[in-house]
Amino acid sequence: MDRQQIGVKLTIDALNLPFQINSFEDRLIMQKTIYLAQAAGINLGYYYHWYLHGPYSPSLTRDEFAIATDISVDLDESEGWKLDDSSSHKLQKIRGIFTENERDELAKKLELLASVHFLIDRKQVSEVDTSRITSTLKRFNKDFSEKDVKGALGELKAYGLLQG
Amino acid sequence: MVSSKGDGAEKLVVDSIHGDIHLTNRELEVIDTVSFQRLRHLKQLAMSQMAYPNATHTRFAHSLGVFAIMARITRIAKASGQINLSPEQEERLRLAALLHDIGHYPYSHLMEQIDKIRLIKEQVEVPDAGEKTIDKSGAPYPEHDFVGTLIITKQRDLIEALGGKRRAKEIANLFGPKRPTESKKSLQLSKLVHSSLDMDRLDYLLRDSQATGVPYGQIDINYLLSNLRVSPSGAVGISEKAIPAAEQFLIARFFMHRTVYYHKTTFGMEEACRQLIHRLRAQGKYEIPKDGKEIEELVTSEALGTFTDAYVDEIVHKAIINNDDEVIQTLAKSIQKRRPPKLLKEVPVLGSVEQSHEPHKGTILKQNCKHYLYNLAKDFNIPLEQFILCETPPLRLERRGPLVFAEDAMKTNLEEEEELIKVFVTGEDEPKSLVDIPYSLISRCAGLFFQSYRLYVIYEGDDKNSVISELCNKVKGWDKA
Repeated sequence: MDRQQIGVKLTIDALNLPFQINSFEDRLIMQKTIYLAQAAGINLGYYYHWYLHGPYSPSLTRDEFAIATDISVDLDESEGWKLDDSSSHKLQKIRGIFTENERDELAKKLELLASVHFLIDRKQVSEVDTSRITSTLKRFNKDFSEKDVKGALGELKAYGLLQG
Repeated sequence: MVSSKGDGAEKLVVDSIHGDIHLTNRELEVIDTVSFQRLRHLKQLAMSQMAYPNATHTRFAHSLGVFAIMARITRIAKASGQINLSPEQEERLRLAALLHDIGHYPYSHLMEQIDKIRLIKEQVEVPDAGEKTIDKSGAPYPEHDFVGTLIITKQRDLIEALGGKRRAKEIANLFGPKRPTESKKSLQLSKLVHSSLDMDRLDYLLRDSQATGVPYGQIDINYLLSNLRVSPSGAVGISEKAIPAAEQFLIARFFMHRTVYYHKTTFGMEEACRQLIHRLRAQGKYEIPKDGKEIEELVTSEALGTFTDAYVDEIVHKAIINNDDEVIQTLAKSIQKRRPPKLLKEVPVLGSVEQSHEPHKGTILKQNCKHYLYNLAKDFNIPLEQFILCETPPLRLERRGPLVFAEDAMKTNLEEEEELIKVFVTGEDEPKSLVDIPYSLISRCAGLFFQSYRLYVIYEGDDKNSVISELCNKVKGWDKA
């Protein structure tokens, strides 16, 4: 594992999530978790594009694979490392986002939060225009209602990921 | 060589791989900007010329090559009537291909990745070492894709050559985020810039193979391109009869990595250089950008034109003439005088992504280095920092293995799926992934990955040969528990 990959593994650990990339939901959760961690101020260094399921980083996909390859042979080089205090504190503050027990529910929730955040953060839409956010998501075949979008905005603000 | 075609509407460049490349005036204006000319001073294969003396070709030539392939693809797609591109869409695709590498750092991935490295003291057990901390509060050096977007949208010469800010943004978006307004078919073509069967790889395999003299990268580009098809929904793939050409393309990439890109000398030299720059940056020396913010400032300023391989060469030179640190001196001299790190032990591993494993010989080497390298360095009186422990990234033939169950197919990550090579099976309108064609060699091998674990040392004592030989003997059995 390189230093960036160790940062990813420690971030996932700090959010009490398992490091899994076996299924589609697993990989989606991984992508959106790292996106939201970066939005919270953890500078992991991944550049996200907008794809079919919202923000997506191809280089994170490569790193997830490299980390999983190491873990599959019992080699976890993040052991003995810790994140800096400021980053740990920031992750502590957003841990509540990731508490859904069911993986598919967590995946859906994170996809919505990350997508809404990306659209607003990259100035694609205004945060007050919830109907436009909803219609943008619909254009990408996302089954999220305006109520869902409003809920996501509230949650992003509550966790300090968007300005209140 | 650039020459006028006679009517003044087009210019002609002759390329050693693709032959005649025709450029419009706008494309020539883009090429003639200082921002683009910088690519003449970035070697495509970074330090590979240390092992293959003729591998001095540049990102400039490669960018023109990728452009030539995009021009051929759009021409084929239009002529076959499979796609209807407006002149503006076609121009955007050609320019996006031309500019796809505009954001590369000096020595490409070498400098881009200096935030990623771990120094040897962070990899092995050292007495009284405290807890190791990863500081993620500052911005790391950004990926070259992002740097490319910044250069296209912020450098005045490129904005002018591209026809204004709005057009510059549209082109940057083609190798960046998906836009709901773009037609699906032109988006699919733009994805050919970065997918398994992408024009980036089509060009670099041929170009690198020719420059290094290593024949494994010779792919059948003409057959692949003439068998490209676009489905009614806009998916791009190859016809079934071109499967052998696609398989050979993936295998060529695999062998070029093993032979050229992961070459022991190149890999060792680049790792040594990365460690050198990492250490110098920590010293605050030679105005090396301290974080991602400073990189962003540099690449959007007029200093961009100086951000070339020579930028790193100068840092190496300065380190030799005015740095007192013994390890820095050793690393810098190793690079400038071409005294590559000596490979003490290499453990190649062919693994499977679909099964979990017992620790293999590569992980055992790492564990043994972790436990015993400190004492070995002490016994030989060589600074621990002159050892380099590293591994190549895991290399796969294709980005995922075959899907065994229908439910897996339903849940495949669409982003990853789009990057796979697609095949139009006879009689079907929409293509399927090559890894899912049961009689394809790739469907059998896509679950495998190759990785190589290496331990190097940089040592320049008078008794060099005998010390290296003795060290090799000491670590000979370090791949065993």
